[in-house]
Amino acid sequence: MTIPATTATAPVPPATIDLRPVGRGRVVTAYRWEITKLAAQARTRATLAVCLVAPFVFVVLLDRQDRLPKDTLYGRWVHASGFATPLMILGFAAQWVFPLLTSLVAGDIFASEDQHGTWKTILTRSHSRTQIFWAKTLAAATFATLVLTVLALSCLAAGVLLVGHQPLESLSGTLLPSGRTAGLVLAAWASALPPLLGFTALGIMLSVLTRSSPMGIVGPIVLGLVMQLYAFLNGADTIRHLLLVTPFDAWHGLLAAHPYYGPLRDGTLVSVGYILICLAVAYTALRRRDITGG
Amino acid sequence: MAVGVPAVEASGLVKRFGGLIAVDHVDLRVDVGEVYGILGPNGAGKTTFLRMLFGLIRPDAGTLRVFGRTWGDAGPSMLDGVAGFIESPRFYPYLSGRRNLDLLAGLDGGGADSRIDEVLDVVDLAGRAGDKVGGYSFGMRQRLGVAASLLRDPQLLVLDEPANGLDPAGIRDMRALVTRLAAGGLTVLLSSHNMDEVEEICDNVTIMRTGRVVYHGSINQLRAQAPDPSHRLVTSDDAQALRLGADHPAVSVSAHPDGGLALRAQPADADAYILALGQAGVAVRALHLEVAPLESLFFMLTESDPAAGFDVPAQTQPDTLTGATS
Repeated sequence: MTIPATTATAPVPPATIDLRPVGRGRVVTAYRWEITKLAAQARTRATLAVCLVAPFVFVVLLDRQDRLPKDTLYGRWVHASGFATPLMILGFAAQWVFPLLTSLVAGDIFASEDQHGTWKTILTRSHSRTQIFWAKTLAAATFATLVLTVLALSCLAAGVLLVGHQPLESLSGTLLPSGRTAGLVLAAWASALPPLLGFTALGIMLSVLTRSSPMGIVGPIVLGLVMQLYAFLNGADTIRHLLLVTPFDAWHGLLAAHPYYGPLRDGTLVSVGYILICLAVAYTALRRRDITGG
Repeated sequence: MAVGVPAVEASGLVKRFGGLIAVDHVDLRVDVGEVYGILGPNGAGKTTFLRMLFGLIRPDAGTLRVFGRTWGDAGPSMLDGVAGFIESPRFYPYLSGRRNLDLLAGLDGGGADSRIDEVLDVVDLAGRAGDKVGGYSFGMRQRLGVAASLLRDPQLLVLDEPANGLDPAGIRDMRALVTRLAAGGLTVLLSSHNMDEVEEICDNVTIMRTGRVVYHGSINQLRAQAPDPSHRLVTSDDAQALRLGADHPAVSVSAHPDGGLALRAQPADADAYILALGQAGVAVRALHLEVAPLESLFFMLTESDPAAGFDVPAQTQPDTLTGATS
């Protein structure tokens, strides 16, 4: 007897791909899950602890030095006013510390699922790629914001507690009263948030595209340094304004005798541009990629 | 869930990867409460089918409904009430088994965290729940995968080769676990390339080959249609044994390529033949079951030429063995 091969059935239309709006409830659930996962990681906790403690150690070490870091903005004032410390650290952090801090999570958050082969574990639990993408992106942005907040407050506390709250000289040479300076210092740190989120998006994109945590973490730092180098070499001005490191300097306008906000506005627009482009590339790549092996 | 709605219903399902048709017009229906097996050799399309079921890949044609829902209609909600794993379950190795379940319960919501202790007990991992998953054996990870699935309090449990890579004790434990879960009324869809496993656990089976369904029906039907068991027989006088075989039309005796004789017969007929050998002064030195009846049928179904259909020996021709996917 011959067993016939499978009989073809009547033609049916191709199955549709889910293009429905994102289920917000499930994004929130996945976001909480990702935050819990981040909180369970020693690296995340260690990073926050370093952000909390390092400024105090830095100020103590600086206090014992006779030579001041005069080539750094506000470096010459670190013994004169506690408000100079957070501003000096802000200028320094923009070079590579911010890209490093945010990419520790952003550069790893997608790639770690590839590394552990856990994509299928997640996606077989009633969550779509879209929901997981936004949950992870929000978690990475939350971490970046938290790191910036902790570091800003810690720097300000270290400066004020260990050096004092003396008036600070503005970039125009006028003295700024203590009360106003504290607000300006915090505003200056807040101005670093858009480019920091830009680097977060860059880390996310590299994490998705390369599926490699080391590439996702190191990539933004290297790109940041290349941008710094370009700016340092006085490259074309238009391009310099489009670099993601340029908005880190936008706070200078806040510390002038007559504040100007153009760089803040331009920096925010550039950062938003990076965020949109990087997330669009990452999202598209994640939606299209074959994760059946991972 | 509406009464009478099947747990899984595939209709004309097709999945292509470039020029390769991994799943070729597959129809399949798993009713609620069934323990259903998808059987086939590697590359038959079992895992591709399960990937479509879990929404990891989309079919190129056909529909796949889970409790009446399609991915197009319901999106990821299609998987509500469904749990399981594809290939081997994976976890975060730097966290303990319990912490992994904790995280997954957070992703599931709906009070799944209150079931962690219970599911760890079910899979017999309560004693090792505090250990990091990185130190778990393969079998423990498989069991943790079942535990992670049960956290969702599923109505349908989908397991892809759950005994793959396990040692004999692990295989025994896994089969016992699945049998226990099925006895509790859970619908189970299990893929395997092991006929014994499916025969032991499942009520109904679909056998696939190169993406196509070559048989589906109950295990009992399949068993009834299976050819005779095949043995390797070693005697003190094979030539005499071969001649005696001619006097027993119900048995098939031939020279075995590896020495001795190949004996194919139903157990009662084989018994009669062996007794006859003894009466004729031919000693039986060894009798090994080489291919179990169902396994033999499985090989016939999955290794014959699909272009010409699947030839089944005349004595095993079953009326119901159509190979059609109805």
